[in-house]
Amino acid sequence: MAALLELTDVSVRFGGLTAVDNVSLSVAAGEVCALIGPNGAGKTTLFNAVSGNAVINSGAIRFQGEEIHRLTPHQISAKGVRRTFQNGGLFAHLTALENVLVGLHTRVDSSFLGLLASAPASRRAESAATARARELLDLMQVGHVADNLASDLSGGQQRMVEIVRALATEPPLLLLDEPAVGLAPHMREQLGQIIRRLAGERGIGILLIEHAIELVMNVSDRVVVLNYGKKVADAPPAQVRADKAVLEAYLGHA
Amino acid sequence: MTDIAKKESLPAGGRSRSRIGRSVFWLIPILLLPVPLFLDQYRQYVVNLILVYVPVGIGFNIVVGNLGLLAFSNVAFFGIGAYTSGVLALKLGLPWWATVLPAGIMGALAGSAASVPALRGVRLFYLAIMTLAFGELLRWVYIRWVPVTGGSFGMAVPKPSVFGLPLLTEGHKFYAFLFLVVLMVILTNRLLRSRFGRAFMAIKSNEQAAAAMGIPTDRYILLAFAWGGFVVGIGGSMYAALVGHVTPIAFDLTELILEFAIIMVGGLGSLVGSVLGAIVITSAPEFFRNWLGFQELLFGVLIVVVILFLPRGLASLLARLHPIFVDRYYRD
Repeated sequence: MAALLELTDVSVRFGGLTAVDNVSLSVAAGEVCALIGPNGAGKTTLFNAVSGNAVINSGAIRFQGEEIHRLTPHQISAKGVRRTFQNGGLFAHLTALENVLVGLHTRVDSSFLGLLASAPASRRAESAATARARELLDLMQVGHVADNLASDLSGGQQRMVEIVRALATEPPLLLLDEPAVGLAPHMREQLGQIIRRLAGERGIGILLIEHAIELVMNVSDRVVVLNYGKKVADAPPAQVRADKAVLEAYLGHA
Repeated sequence: MTDIAKKESLPAGGRSRSRIGRSVFWLIPILLLPVPLFLDQYRQYVVNLILVYVPVGIGFNIVVGNLGLLAFSNVAFFGIGAYTSGVLALKLGLPWWATVLPAGIMGALAGSAASVPALRGVRLFYLAIMTLAFGELLRWVYIRWVPVTGGSFGMAVPKPSVFGLPLLTEGHKFYAFLFLVVLMVILTNRLLRSRFGRAFMAIKSNEQAAAAMGIPTDRYILLAFAWGGFVVGIGGSMYAALVGHVTPIAFDLTELILEFAIIMVGGLGSLVGSVLGAIVITSAPEFFRNWLGFQELLFGVLIVVVILFLPRGLASLLARLHPIFVDRYYRD
């Protein structure tokens, strides 16, 4: 299986601190790869490197065979790498619907002059995008809050809207940064099913940072464990669960 | 297409109704048409001054309210617009109407120039002081570039005309101004309701997430400044036509504070708010004229009271009266 995302010997240093140390990993289309490790292991930094929010000091990041580590975040996003954020990256000033519309931004074919002139083509592009955004929200069962401000939504709804927004353009690769934080157990289960469906039915490659270990074990095809910026394991969940090095790194001394 | 229509009207019951409601806004300029019949020259002048400050507020609000950047270069765009209009009329003999678009374009160029610190990543107080300096820098140019600007004494602007018809009275100017204001409101509204306006608001909310959605944030920051500068520059050309003379003192820090008061009192990020703010801030001093010696005090108290009790500006008060006044882009 050709890798969708491929990291080769990636290092990220902040001053004297090596946050990500020579990490190689790959994610294939339709594969759920979980990234776990204790706090400060470099998981989010690795995410930021992939999405262009952190500069890598060495190594290479390829997406669909193309080097992306010198591109800006919006260029990487436009290529089809979408992400969610750890602390809720929704636009608080916008409604759920508008959040998804921003997710569709690169797909709305309205032009500056077309909009000023209220040209039919631009108007159609805008209303088609609005219809599409509503459809996507309905699909994830958050359609009823479409016109509520993002800041007024419950934690679970916010998470769903953020996922809808990230998926709006049907990206081949999705980066989920702790999507289960603050979710009730039944919501976590639902989230797990959604992640599985996205990978299984739509063939989206998913890189998942998550602390909820049950979720990780249930949805992942592969689990990569980071500790102090280094990769200490890369194996199917069952195998990782039994790995001694992982237990020590991640769960403390067993 | 029927599917789209259905989806649009489905969740929010008030959506389609409020769209009909919004067309009521067209009545406002129509109802304003007979205004000059009822006002004397002085009162008409004040109304015209309000019309000048509507685009000034709109442009400022795009950058501060919608884009969410603390950029205080607005008075520079206003001045550039006024001087462009004045210089083209005085030195090249262009009729006023032909100077309006160039004034807007010069305002847009000034806006683009003023966006440079923001594009370099400067934010918050640092951006505030750098953009303030930009306005003062232009004032220095107005004062020093005597052959063109007339220096500290400024320049007298020839009587304005539109397509050969001279605008002899304040009432004549009113119609020309009303046309420009309605045009600026409509165009800006179209922009703010589109993916462009959403991109501005996304940048205001969370720049990093906006970029992660594929939005080239730099390009949109530049665009917001340029469009803001354009609209304000047109306000500047109106100012030149109204006052008939342009001096550096008109574009000082006090002026900037007044403009800031317009968008704060009106409502940050709200198009309706920019209009309301322009009305209140421009006309209030006229009402306080009777209390000689207390004018500034009363004016200050008014601003403090409005912001204290209506931190979201007058736009939020209007929104409470009727849903058609709810400005989709006023959120804070």
